[in-house]
Amino acid sequence: MENLFLEGTQYTPEINMNAESGVISMVGKSYPENTFDFYQPIMDWVTAYFNGEAKNKTVVNMEIIYFNSSSSKLFFDFFDVLDEQKDKHHVEVNWIYDEENESALEAGEDFIEDFENLVINLVGK
Amino acid sequence: MQISQLETILDDDGIIFLTYGGLLTQALIVGMTEALEKESKTHDLNKKVAHNLLTIFIELSQNMMNYSKKSNMSGNAIDSKGLIIVGLDKDANEYYVFSRNIVNINDSEKIIPKIKQVLSLDKAALKLLYRELRKSGREKHEKGAGIGFVEIAKRCDSMECDFTDINDETQYFSLKATIHNVKD
Repeated sequence: MENLFLEGTQYTPEINMNAESGVISMVGKSYPENTFDFYQPIMDWVTAYFNGEAKNKTVVNMEIIYFNSSSSKLFFDFFDVLDEQKDKHHVEVNWIYDEENESALEAGEDFIEDFENLVINLVGK
Repeated sequence: MQISQLETILDDDGIIFLTYGGLLTQALIVGMTEALEKESKTHDLNKKVAHNLLTIFIELSQNMMNYSKKSNMSGNAIDSKGLIIVGLDKDANEYYVFSRNIVNINDSEKIIPKIKQVLSLDKAALKLLYRELRKSGREKHEKGAGIGFVEIAKRCDSMECDFTDINDETQYFSLKATIHNVKD
């Protein structure tokens, strides 16, 4: 399947979804004008990936500086897809946050509480 | 133009920037967010304070943008005298984001119960409600389900809202979120 790459902007993260390496990353800010439209191809890609030739191990690196509440909903949906797949595929999420920013850490902790059985590592940098 | 008077007002209220009237566009919001980000770096603002301020600003301004878009689409175009202000109250040592826009009374009837609920909750309960609202399920997302207000309340130290009648059909809806400044 084809990889998905979207260049980052001032208000949307850089998206890099690589089917060959099994590494998915989202880096940057997330407050698109229409969040649902922006994340639709990402949701479609990840669904197709797990339905098809997913790697033995999939690593998701999330390094989101800040995000609006509708992005938060979309991240929830995205994690929900990963959560459904975690028994069939090895899935690991790295929530990468700025150590000086408590709010970024709390956002990661919230996702851990919501997805207790999904491996989400908090990675300070 | 009475620029000096305007300047006095801006200085007295510690206004960092404001936008008034016209349609709030995504490009304008992005520009202001970037400016606010630079401002917080220049003043060496605590990262958590800066993060919360930016998140609240984005939430409020996009809320206003989406509301005017929705009203325009429904052929119910409202006066776009939207106002958004970010300022620093030096005496109280707190930052604030203030927004005011004109809403249809039918819409305020829908917003008021949500706001009341949000204002009645403490931080722990807000966190639970936030997680509950974002769980609303794939394909079921509704714009303005109230999660934005929860996001704002979660991230500020106090939040005030007000609805004032303009006429039988419209009201001013204003919201002020305040964040105490913390030194590192």
